[in-house]
Amino acid sequence: MEKRLAEFQAAGVRPVAISVDAPEVSRDLANKAGYTFPILSDPDAAVIRRYHLLHAGGGPDQNDIARPAEFLVDSSKMVRWSNFTEDVRVRARADEMLAAAKQLR
Amino acid sequence: MPDATELRKNTAPWWGLLFALGAIGCNVAFFMSPPLQGALPWLSVLCAVLALVFLAAGLRRAFGQAHVYRGKVLSVVLTVIALFPLGLTAFAFVKARELPSSTAAPQVGQRVPDFTLSDTTGKPVSLDQLLAPAASASTSQSQAQAPKAVLLIFYRGYW
Repeated sequence: MEKRLAEFQAAGVRPVAISVDAPEVSRDLANKAGYTFPILSDPDAAVIRRYHLLHAGGGPDQNDIARPAEFLVDSSKMVRWSNFTEDVRVRARADEMLAAAKQLR
Repeated sequence: MPDATELRKNTAPWWGLLFALGAIGCNVAFFMSPPLQGALPWLSVLCAVLALVFLAAGLRRAFGQAHVYRGKVLSVVLTVIALFPLGLTAFAFVKARELPSSTAAPQVGQRVPDFTLSDTTGKPVSLDQLLAPAASASTSQSQAQAPKAVLLIFYRGYW
């Protein structure tokens, strides 16, 4: 993700990551992986629920977490592209997301 | 009674073990994000099925055709060893796909809900802010104008 960040910015897209991880945990992740895009915390999964992405008991301690999903949302807050993986091992690739981003007008 | 050295080599159990290791290898390959990553789960299934076929053939030959093939002990040992990576493959396959259907999630063409969440510094950030021009010009990469879109990446967490 970070490697392609310049390409996303050139395409006018701002990536934002969201999970139940606390800000400190996300900060560690960002530092280790060198991520500079925003990483937001949804510790009680309230927003995850609002987006109907809840994976109840899916975390290591049976905590509620998000199922993986990506949305390309335009300035009118409309979804223009989305991806819902069927297998947590298969991640959306930056190529796919960039291709969707470049199709935006 | 034929001399043991006259019996044919039973290579099937070795192929079985190889495919069993291939099945678990597919799971490792995920981390390398190869281009056809989406096919990896099914490739691991294919390897597992082939492993079982070869292991069964090896056992059948060693015991059912003991006058032609050798390797009674070896076929059993290799089969037992292969069951570990095969079991892991099956477990990983089932667990990785235990996901809710999320049919009520925002679809293409629908508007997404607003939100305000804390960033890594604890500062609240809203969807409106993300869609607006960047507030500060702190780095050379900041955008002077509003982005065309935001890419919301919901992930499991627990790194």
